[in-house]
Amino acid sequence: MNSSVIFGLAATFFLVTNPIGNAPAILALVKNFEFSRQKWIMLRETVFALLIALFFQYFAEYFLSLLRIQSYAVTLCGGTLLFLVAFHMIFSAATPEIVIEKIEKIETGENGDQVKSPPQQEPFFVPIATPLLSGPGLLTIIMLKSQEVQSHFIITMAILIAWIGVISIMVLAPYLQKMLGKRGMIALEQLMGLVLAMIGMGMLVKGVNIFIDQLNTLS
Amino acid sequence: MNDLSLFTITLTLFLIMDPVGHIAAYLKMMEGISSQRRNVVLLREMGIALGAMLLFNLLGESIFSYLELSESTVRLVAGVILFITAIKILFPSSVGIRGSFPPGEPFIIPLAIPYIAGPSLLATILLYSNMESQEFPMLMGIVLAWIATSVVLWLAPVFNKVLGKNGLGACERLLAMVLVMISIQRFMEGIQQFIQARG
Repeated sequence: MNSSVIFGLAATFFLVTNPIGNAPAILALVKNFEFSRQKWIMLRETVFALLIALFFQYFAEYFLSLLRIQSYAVTLCGGTLLFLVAFHMIFSAATPEIVIEKIEKIETGENGDQVKSPPQQEPFFVPIATPLLSGPGLLTIIMLKSQEVQSHFIITMAILIAWIGVISIMVLAPYLQKMLGKRGMIALEQLMGLVLAMIGMGMLVKGVNIFIDQLNTLS
Repeated sequence: MNDLSLFTITLTLFLIMDPVGHIAAYLKMMEGISSQRRNVVLLREMGIALGAMLLFNLLGESIFSYLELSESTVRLVAGVILFITAIKILFPSSVGIRGSFPPGEPFIIPLAIPYIAGPSLLATILLYSNMESQEFPMLMGIVLAWIATSVVLWLAPVFNKVLGKNGLGACERLLAMVLVMISIQRFMEGIQQFIQARG
């Protein structure tokens, strides 16, 4: 009985974390790093995301009520951050000259990534660990389920099991880059920017929705 | 709005002061200053910051009435400023708003103001001092958060050693996430109050 509950929850968490859908977007974010470095970043970020999820399971309610943060703020926060990341992905590299310049460099055999002058900053926590993997969706579900199930052990086990799947997919993701090649990655970055913008906007709309609901109940 | 608990005030102010996020900048500032001198400088700067906070706490009511501010305005301002500050920490690629301070030993700027007692912190104090009817928890909250911040900055070299550059970066960004959440909460509260005040 218990094990079926755990696996059911694990499947839910896995689906909400959506590693398969997120992997290309995350890959586009780390495309400028070496292959081995990418795998390391993926692993680290997934572990960070796990820590955030576990932290939320145990302390979320206390922490949020202490700071007087309502649930809509968590959703809006995720949405805003994702939207900003997407904006950056679409418009920073998308000025046509830079893209053309990049492609020319690739074709003359140089490393196309040297074109962008500002030093590439390694993504830390934001945006991969949160809000992409441990996004507001996952955190809300964890909070809801831990109220429902009333057993920390079951939830923690479910999160850990879900994370086995998430970690293996994330670590395998960099191999996708080998298949796509550099041109493919630039195209992917643009496409995934759009997808991220949509996910972010979705979160924003949801947050505003909750906010308006709350306004209506108050008045 | 009912009174806030002392712990809420302290924690929120401490998070907005964001000492952990300023460790790297602080250590860079203190390069080439002898360790005894460092303590003097730190104490002086923290004293100035505390003075600014207490001033705003004291003047809260009169600033409100003089500028004819409503509570929703202050919430919106605190939210927007805090949001932009936190976003600058999260996405450091753009040229920092805080990049252009004069070099050398910090005096008032940049450590006391705006790193510790920044505009978002002062706006929050303004807001809380207006919300909180009693003087005592507010003063206690400010002083406690201030002590915690001073201790963290005083121990900055230890933190730096234990966490390393990457660990510090991770903490910085995690706290910035919390700041974004607080700022959005403030902003939405401002909108809520605005709508309710219109009826």
